Amino acid sequence: MDFTHDIVRITSALSTWWWILLGLMFLFYIALDGADLGAGIFALFSKDEDERGAIMASMAGFWDGNETWLVVAGGVLFGAFPLVYGSAFNYLMIPLMIALWAIIMRAVAFEFHVHARSSRKVWGWFFAIGSLLAPFFAGVALGAALQGFPMENGLAMAHIAGRDYTTPVMHFSGNALTWLTPFSIWTGFGAVIAAGLAGGLYLCARFVPGDVIHQRAKGWTSLFSLLALAAIVVTLVWSYAIFPWAAAKWTGPNWWVWAAWIVIVLFFAFKSMSNHSAGHNFVALLWGEGVVVLLWAAMWATMYPYIVPGTWTIQEAANPANSLAVFTLFMTGFVPIMIMYNWYQIWVFRGRFTKKSIYAAH
Amino acid sequence: MIIENSLPVLLSRLDFAWITTMHILWTPLTIGMSWLLFFLEIAWLRTGDERWYKLNRFFEKIFIINFGAGVATGVTMEMAFGILYGPFSQAAGPFFGNILGFETITAFMYEAGFIGLMVFGWGKVSKGMHAFATFNVGLSSSLSAMWILVANSWMQTPNGVVLKDGLFQVENWWHAILNDNFIWGFPHMWVATVELSLFVMAGVSAWFILKNRNADLFTKMLKPTLLALLIVTPIQIFIGDSVGKDVADTQPTSLAAMEGHYHTYLPDGKPNTSWNLIAIPNANNDGNLFQISIPHVLSLLETHTWDGVVKGMDQFAPEDRPDVWVPFYSFRVMVAIGFFLFFVALWGNWLRLRGKLSAESLRKSPWFLRAVIFSAFLPYLAIWTGWWVREIGRQPWVVYGQMRTYQGVSHMSVAQEVIWFAGYIVFELLVWAGAWYFFARVIAKGVDGIAPSDQLFHHGEEGDAHAGGGHAQASFAKPMLKAER
Repeated sequence: MDFTHDIVRITSALSTWWWILLGLMFLFYIALDGADLGAGIFALFSKDEDERGAIMASMAGFWDGNETWLVVAGGVLFGAFPLVYGSAFNYLMIPLMIALWAIIMRAVAFEFHVHARSSRKVWGWFFAIGSLLAPFFAGVALGAALQGFPMENGLAMAHIAGRDYTTPVMHFSGNALTWLTPFSIWTGFGAVIAAGLAGGLYLCARFVPGDVIHQRAKGWTSLFSLLALAAIVVTLVWSYAIFPWAAAKWTGPNWWVWAAWIVIVLFFAFKSMSNHSAGHNFVALLWGEGVVVLLWAAMWATMYPYIVPGTWTIQEAANPANSLAVFTLFMTGFVPIMIMYNWYQIWVFRGRFTKKSIYAAH
Repeated sequence: MIIENSLPVLLSRLDFAWITTMHILWTPLTIGMSWLLFFLEIAWLRTGDERWYKLNRFFEKIFIINFGAGVATGVTMEMAFGILYGPFSQAAGPFFGNILGFETITAFMYEAGFIGLMVFGWGKVSKGMHAFATFNVGLSSSLSAMWILVANSWMQTPNGVVLKDGLFQVENWWHAILNDNFIWGFPHMWVATVELSLFVMAGVSAWFILKNRNADLFTKMLKPTLLALLIVTPIQIFIGDSVGKDVADTQPTSLAAMEGHYHTYLPDGKPNTSWNLIAIPNANNDGNLFQISIPHVLSLLETHTWDGVVKGMDQFAPEDRPDVWVPFYSFRVMVAIGFFLFFVALWGNWLRLRGKLSAESLRKSPWFLRAVIFSAFLPYLAIWTGWWVREIGRQPWVVYGQMRTYQGVSHMSVAQEVIWFAGYIVFELLVWAGAWYFFARVIAKGVDGIAPSDQLFHHGEEGDAHAGGGHAQASFAKPMLKAER
């Protein structure tokens, strides 16, 4: 009997499973926190602190849960694919660092804004600017990850007179700005546009029609719907031009699946826009989130079998079979539980608000 | 000079040391106080005594600011292993990565899934559900502490793994999880969170009594807190001693650094049994320039014999020795604080025995109150110094005895390291200053503005509802689905 062969197959199955769950965790983050971040970008243009405060209060009960999907995605990456975790984050140091600073700005703004008197304005701006910088640099990091990065083995900290150190493990070997390309900057803008649209849809569904925030969010959403459509087209064309792995898949024998997928995406976008125009705000939000789900799934499928295109395949990056098996046994069951209690928390805080009611005595 | 003290490696150590030091400023209070808030809530629910409710809602305000600061500094931690210590994260991934994955899934997210209900759920969910949410925040944050201590203690005593193909592959999960250092290391940290939280709540209560604001209410708080501290503080000293013995067994270099113990034997060939009260290590890290020492104490402490041999730094190659300054003095500060806090707990309960723990007599001789207020800050320092002993004592290893720190550092330039350091100095200090400023604001505002609990569940117009509670009728899902016109 060939046990080695069996173990390779088990590793392959389990690593693919965690690759799918990793995609799901990132998807929860961009779908849920994307709306919160977008509402924060909207707050950049708020005229007064009460409005910013009302927007913050509207998500007070669940912003932390939404944001924590990012941490879970990081944890899954570390737990199942530590070779990617340890090299990609090294590569993405600068964009991640700035996104983390932005997350700090937002998190403290949430807690301080309600208690502040003279410094309220400062924390309001922290919230709004943090909400802009976080998706921008997260988007930059995503675009940079799609481009892949150079690696080598041996000692990573190159400029020290270390004794001979050898390891077969490949680590990042580029420089501080390897991530910086026109495409990665563009994906930063793309992420801001996507978040802006989600935020607009969220605010329309969250505030009572006729309320001042609802009024402004309506126009904002219509504008960002168009911007988002344009951004999708630009991103697809650009990716087709510079990523051979994507182009090969999209124009391969299964081209009709991808074409059909685009049609479905357009249909969802159309439904979101028409529901928005008709004032069905929550339905519009759901269709809009559907677009996010479809595009994210398509991106994940395009990358297969890579986890970082051209750099790490799912197989190469995965933990040894033994660790993957333990991770699967003990953690998979928690995924539906996490979804349940997060859903419950969001459900408790459902309902529409007005600018005045929500910020009164928060 | 060891390679770990060369500028690029030292900077990467400082980068990580700074963000962890600033993160541990928040998490202990979250972990410990969530349980204390749960007890207050249960006390309110069982007795119907409105005062417990008031105290709960008051301390909850401090709790949530603290929680926000913990999240703000904590998200960075989750990414920082990969950013700053990529090769370490890769090599340790099969065990360490798994454990961090466990932590995010079973603790970090678990906590986030209930914190909103706990803080903003008053009046929106039933009393029972609210207490359940508080309980879950307590349990999840303690689980978080447990997993983080599993991961860190494994770096101190890497049991159950074998280094193969550049990766620490797990041979025995139980040995790796329940590693030598974890057995006492986790209780030491967890009890520290409870001790810190009790002293913070006692300190705030003492301040109110001293200022004669709601003095009776806060005396009611102070009494059980001091009683709990009478139990917790000696337990912590005992656990701390056990951690010390464990370090002596498993990390002799760390112990030698902690005690400034360089020479295993005296010039005459007898074992060096002296415990140093004060020491000034020399620049070569091979002896003390000056020391005040007491013979036999070190042997008694570490081997429980009069003349037992305790391995000194001279038993290890110069490149394998940690620095002495920080572990040596940090250790002494931590121990001194541990005993002082025990003394304060004794003092308070002695006053109580003599019937002097009333608001009036406490104010008459305010030195006890002042000591309690002062003691609210000390556990923070003790936790900091304890972690500095642990982390600097482990050097020059990132995984003790298996992987050198310089081998685990990411590929980055000194400029990158400096930018990280500078940026986080700004942001972490901002969090610190802001959080403590708003603590002060909340405390200055006091408890009088807190609405009685019966207003939570019976209120008038829905339009008056606000997010901070008092929003009993959910403005149900239906109007969200079909837009109102």
